[in-house]
Amino acid sequence: MTVVETTGLSKDYLTNGLTVHALRGVSLSFARGDFAAVAGPSGSGKSTFLHLVGCLDEPSAGTIAIEGEDVASLGRRDQALLRRSRIGFIFQAYNLIPVLSALENVTLPLVLLGESRTAARSDAERALAEVGLEGMGNRRPKEMSGGQQQRVAIARALVKKPSLILADEPTANLDSATGRDILELMLALNRDEGTTFIFSTHDRMVMDYARRLIVLKDGLVDSETGS
Amino acid sequence: MKTAAFPELASMAFRNLGRHRVKTAVTVTAVAISVALYIFIDGWLLGMNLDSKRNIVAFEAGAARIQSKAWFAKKDELPMYESFGGHEALSARLDEAGFDTAPRFLFEGTLLSRERSAPIAFIAMDPGREAKLLRWQDYVASGRAPVPGRFEIALGSMAAGKLRVDLPARPDAAEFEAMLAAAADADEAVFVRGLYLDAPPDRVAPAEFRRLKPVLAAMPGGKDVLRAYELPWDGDAWRLRKDARPAAFGELAAALRAAGFDFQPRHTLRPDASRTDRDRLWAILAASGRMDVRISTVIDIKELPARVDASKFEAELLPALRSDDRALASRAYPADPASGDRALAEADPGRRDRLLRAMLDAGFAPAVRHVNQLIDAVVVGTVDSPNPKTNGNVAYMPSDALQDEAGMMLEGRITELLVRAKGADDTALPDPGESPRAVKAALGGALPAGLEVYGWLDGVEDYIAASRGDEVSTRVMVGLLFVLSFIGIANTMLMAILERSKETGMLRALGMTGGQVLAVYVMEAAAIGLLGSAIGVAAGCLVNVPMVAYGIDYSGMLENMGTDYGYRVVAFFRSAWNPPVIAASALVATLVSGLMAIPPTLRALKVPVTESLRFE
Ligand SMILES: Nc1ncnc2c1ncn2[C@@H]1O[C@H](COP(=O)(O)OP(=O)(O)OP(=O)(O)O)[C@@H](O)[C@H]1O
Ligand SMILES: [Mg+2]
Repeated sequence: MTVVETTGLSKDYLTNGLTVHALRGVSLSFARGDFAAVAGPSGSGKSTFLHLVGCLDEPSAGTIAIEGEDVASLGRRDQALLRRSRIGFIFQAYNLIPVLSALENVTLPLVLLGESRTAARSDAERALAEVGLEGMGNRRPKEMSGGQQQRVAIARALVKKPSLILADEPTANLDSATGRDILELMLALNRDEGTTFIFSTHDRMVMDYARRLIVLKDGLVDSETGS
Repeated sequence: MKTAAFPELASMAFRNLGRHRVKTAVTVTAVAISVALYIFIDGWLLGMNLDSKRNIVAFEAGAARIQSKAWFAKKDELPMYESFGGHEALSARLDEAGFDTAPRFLFEGTLLSRERSAPIAFIAMDPGREAKLLRWQDYVASGRAPVPGRFEIALGSMAAGKLRVDLPARPDAAEFEAMLAAAADADEAVFVRGLYLDAPPDRVAPAEFRRLKPVLAAMPGGKDVLRAYELPWDGDAWRLRKDARPAAFGELAAALRAAGFDFQPRHTLRPDASRTDRDRLWAILAASGRMDVRISTVIDIKELPARVDASKFEAELLPALRSDDRALASRAYPADPASGDRALAEADPGRRDRLLRAMLDAGFAPAVRHVNQLIDAVVVGTVDSPNPKTNGNVAYMPSDALQDEAGMMLEGRITELLVRAKGADDTALPDPGESPRAVKAALGGALPAGLEVYGWLDGVEDYIAASRGDEVSTRVMVGLLFVLSFIGIANTMLMAILERSKETGMLRALGMTGGQVLAVYVMEAAAIGLLGSAIGVAAGCLVNVPMVAYGIDYSGMLENMGTDYGYRVVAFFRSAWNPPVIAASALVATLVSGLMAIPPTLRALKVPVTESLRFE
């Protein structure tokens, strides 16, 4: 079953009167259970692609369908609800909410989905345990290492069991051993829950984990292997 | 919006408050100060106005008042020629309907004492009936109230002081000698001397004070003297403090003398002098003629002039009249070929009355004849009530003494009839049963044309103007303070939301709707407002407790303002509780604070989520 389908996806940025063609017609499709890496040189459009798929920005041309639903037909609010229910994000910079504890960060997506507080808490505790952070739920983000923070971010993305997790260079800020741990974790989730992962990277080691490798170059798909 | 997440959103909002504690505290403080000040000032204004209104009713106006419409139209000049007769019938009718009434005749004049003179508003009244409506007779500070049938005056205490027709509080050496001379015998002189304390001087020159200082400092009791004097910031000499105790004056004066300072004694009336002693002193001074006064006034009589200058008749009178009155006037005043004047030839009383009314309404001056009048009287007491109007240039006299040529030729006429329900609580404002409408209804058809029933607020424009002016200016001032604190909140929120751009992006990426993000930031700002309001309400109420219970003594300030500043409050300005305003100010501060977060949040929500996330 297709989770994400893009056709002719393009994105232009206008900066200082200059148009940058970040994406120039990318048509890709990802099936349930994909564990796909998007690679390519800096500026090739990896982040842009993930952001568009995650409904964090509007494409200049082309379409995106998430589980068969055309994203362009949704209003802002419905896009927010779509992100809330079906997409998990992991960013290079972790992006935890600083005033919330690790556990609260992980609980938040569930609470937003209307889950009861007690159920959300126990789910979040389980998710934290899954990423190896048992008993660290009360810590604030600034009291944790980069690897720990990224684990919290992963737990936050996976706790609501989304059909799709988008990860933009999730290991770029981590040392290679920690990066490997994180990838193993993602792979396990993919295997156990069937969650679709699309992640971007420059790192050859990370690419080796992917079952499918898409290489972008100047906003176009340069090569695709695996699928 | 999903409300299930509300507690989480609220908790996030409150934790955000702690991110910049100092900034939050400063903003909260600004709101608190605004709210506290607003509560304080509102309570103060309300208290002043409540007391003023009570005092207007209890000391000046009663609940309602019957006057001629023509008098009311010209009330600033106290037009005694617009007085009316036949008020006893009205009083009888109102008495049956359960109202007390007090007839008064108001006129202006000059009061001449032995030493000085002052313009005075005279109130000729019936002391017995007046006492049923108004309370000023309870506030005769020295002496007594005037007695019917006599040429006696109760004078406002401030005017009495200026005219020197009261008990001298601090006579200088010459005046004290004169007072002793007024004593009929040695016994009385001893009595007078005993009523006065030897007082230290009011002022001591700086050079002299420097010289005395070391001497006094080394002397027993000398320190008390040093403490009793102060050098005002704008002063050229050391002054006896206003709050120095007169009871200690004797010792202070003695100490100063012992220190080698030779000064003219300035006596002070013992503050603890009994009523009997004060009355005896009044009698001694009155016997010496100190309280004798003379009223100089002009009696205005409305009367058709016997002759009118022809050019004046044509240029001034005729153009001002209605056309039918013009014909009447021309017929009544045929030209007198001998003098060239117009001479009165109308005999019919009805037509004469109508013409006189028309002339007065046209403001034709010759229709009022002025007669200069001098009346000898004696001041028997001074009035010092909580309503400054009674303490200023006002003289109360029994009207029955003024009926014939020896007085004011009133012949039973009055300028106003004050009305109040029998047994009305005189500390309460009039109720609807005492309104002009109710009084009119009670009179039925008995109210003659030309008379009208006015309410107690109708004659106190000075109070209304002062109260409105203050209301507007203070509220504008405090409003500005509010605006400033709201700008503070707006700025705090703007900075906070800019700084949290990335975080806002993440919240949106997590699927928070724009409404939920808005809720978090609005709650944060509203919490600043609520916290500030809570502290402000607490502080405002804390200040209000003593302000309501005791008030502030402004007597020093009032000395400079005199009695004509509009409010009917003397010395103590007390606040009143105004719960709706207290609640509303807190509510408004909270709501408006919350609103301050909306513009920056909407702006942050307008950009794509990626844009927010990129922000560092
Ligand atoms: N908000 C933006 N405004 C203007 N230009 C942008 C914006 N975002 C991306 N770009 C431009 O679009 C192009 C693609 O950027 P993108 O971030 O997608 O590349 P990337 O492959 O993720 O690179 P990197 O490996 O450095 O993260 C770049 O040329 C970039 O400068
Ligand atoms: Mg990138």
